Amino acid sequence: MLDFLFSGWGAFWVTMAMLLPFAGMFWYVIHRKSVVDSGPGTTPPAAMSRLEGYWLTAVFVIFVTINLASLRFMPIMATAHAATGGVPVQEVELAATSWKYEMSTREVEAGKPVRFSGRAMDTQHGFAVYHPDGRMLFTMLMMPGVSKATSVVRTFTEPGTYKIRCLEYCGIAHHGMKDELTVVKSKAAT
Amino acid sequence: MTIATAIIKGTPVFGRMFSVDKSTGLEEINAWPALMIMASFIWLAVAGLLGLVMPATQMFDLDSGHFYTTLTLHGAALAFPFSFQLMVGVGLHRSGGCVGKPITGWLPAMCFITMNLGAALLTVAVLMGFKVSLIVMFPLPLVGAQMGIWSMNTVILGFTGIYLVLACMILLYPLLGLSMLFFGKKRQDLVLSERSLNDPGMLGMTLSALTLLIAGLPLVVVGTTLLLALYGVIPMSMAAWAAEPVVFQYVFFIFAHNLMEAMALMVSSAMYATLPLYLADGTRKLFSDKLANTALWILLLTSVTSFLHHFITSYPAQPAALSYWGNIMSWGTGIGAAISIFTVLATIWQHGLRAEPGIIAVLLGWALYILDGASAMVTSNVAWAYVLHGTMWQSGHTMTVILAMSLMWMGVLYHHYPVITGRKLDPALGTWFVRLFTVGGFGAAIAMLAGGAAGMPRRFADWNQEGWMVYGHMIMIFGVILGASFVVYAYNLLQSRDLNEALGQRVGAT
Repeated sequence: MLDFLFSGWGAFWVTMAMLLPFAGMFWYVIHRKSVVDSGPGTTPPAAMSRLEGYWLTAVFVIFVTINLASLRFMPIMATAHAATGGVPVQEVELAATSWKYEMSTREVEAGKPVRFSGRAMDTQHGFAVYHPDGRMLFTMLMMPGVSKATSVVRTFTEPGTYKIRCLEYCGIAHHGMKDELTVVKSKAAT
Repeated sequence: MTIATAIIKGTPVFGRMFSVDKSTGLEEINAWPALMIMASFIWLAVAGLLGLVMPATQMFDLDSGHFYTTLTLHGAALAFPFSFQLMVGVGLHRSGGCVGKPITGWLPAMCFITMNLGAALLTVAVLMGFKVSLIVMFPLPLVGAQMGIWSMNTVILGFTGIYLVLACMILLYPLLGLSMLFFGKKRQDLVLSERSLNDPGMLGMTLSALTLLIAGLPLVVVGTTLLLALYGVIPMSMAAWAAEPVVFQYVFFIFAHNLMEAMALMVSSAMYATLPLYLADGTRKLFSDKLANTALWILLLTSVTSFLHHFITSYPAQPAALSYWGNIMSWGTGIGAAISIFTVLATIWQHGLRAEPGIIAVLLGWALYILDGASAMVTSNVAWAYVLHGTMWQSGHTMTVILAMSLMWMGVLYHHYPVITGRKLDPALGTWFVRLFTVGGFGAAIAMLAGGAAGMPRRFADWNQEGWMVYGHMIMIFGVILGASFVVYAYNLLQSRDLNEALGQRVGAT
């Protein structure tokens, strides 16, 4: 459930879950007070104050809950776990230049963490990895001239051919800047 | 007759929409605003056509260069000379009427010239091959010149245009707004609706001007340094620090992010001022001024540093602590929005609403802004940023915030239009505009967010893969509906009738 929630479509449905109750309330209040009965409201001030308190408390609790739940899905957490977990990390170093990637390897094993470390050599570039079913798994923003390489740690669970795309506009052939990553079964498992 | 009035009078078609009513003695607060509003609608026509060309180039598999040309021009025209200039025009008219000060002299003239000349120069540069997107993507302009994709002269022309636009937004407009608020003598004959800084209808305008000035100054310093080097006034080595991508990107987004927040503050303020005028019981009061002001202050304080969410996916180049800060502050803006939601709905609930097209446009624009705010908060969460950044989600967010504010300003303009021009708009056409804009605006926003959720990249001339073209078709359809809404609005402006004539017909009818 939470895995879905913190995917692209999860983000979409969370946004809709925030919009739809608001839209319903918005339509109800405007329709009721401009079409059905535009006379002064009879709700006592104390009741309005209580409503205000309930509303703001509910919003605060929802916001905090969503953000706390997201902690486990932050790639920065995976990076921290990789650094302290004692599991060997597969390293993929990449250099992005208009309009191609140079990668230290294009094949990694499933089930073992992979650290992608990327640098942009000319202008800004992205490095987005897409699951074979078309879902975007993660993206990195690489800026030229920074001292530290942009880095993400990811453990792939399914073997297959993963597409790589640049998601930072980098000029007239930006859409052609793509590559592939092959995830193979763990050698330990075979 | 002022120069501004004369320019409007001499402009075909658009001039007829915004010709200033000189009989009221209010030309001094109407002429320059009317000229800026007129110019913004000319840019809207340009931006709207280019907006439709973008999906069309993908559907008909045209040269990708056309897509990137329209991408840069559409974004730049929509955000700055249309949306921002519309805000400046309507906002200045409001300010003038609130504080009783004329909008005359060199400052409004320079605002108009720098914005429109700058946008025109950028347009020429883009037509000459300068394809850098709405947000410049520095150091792409210089890299493109090094690679021979466009010439250095094109870079200089484009940068000059961008610099003039920024000069209007960061320096001239805020200085004009602040000088009207704090300096000069009030003239009672120009006061339309007197307001103090305690009034939410005035506070947001002041906060907005200060935000633009303060958040934009670092970009002015960097931009000036770069421009002086490009023109050879200083050696390039002296501008090396400003040409560092990290320096440019951070100062750019400190400004660009807060530009959107400043525009939100300004339009929220205009909504707080306009809503009470349409309350059914005639009380002309918000549910609570204190709550409305609190929402504005929270929005200001949280948004200033939330720009850090633009760089979450560059970790560790941006330290994790700054990304978390950007995450938390971005969601903090949602608390301000929640207070604003309560204030607006409680005001309508307690006092009833006269549902005229102008105020309904303002309220629906605000509802679209709430949708945009939700999408912005979601993509500012560190976990979600990694699956949404660089996708169509971001384009949807940018387009929606501009559309939402434009709809709100067009609603506010609907309210002020009779005072500026002495003419009345047709409510039936106004209602059709609101309906079409709502369907087109919400539809395009949701289609773009869905495209982003599906991983569809933004600023990407190859939608025809992974099934993304379905979102392209939806964007096109809702874009056409949006375009139709603008045509209806423009037609309404064109055929507006003299107030006396409209009143006479109504009296005759009764």
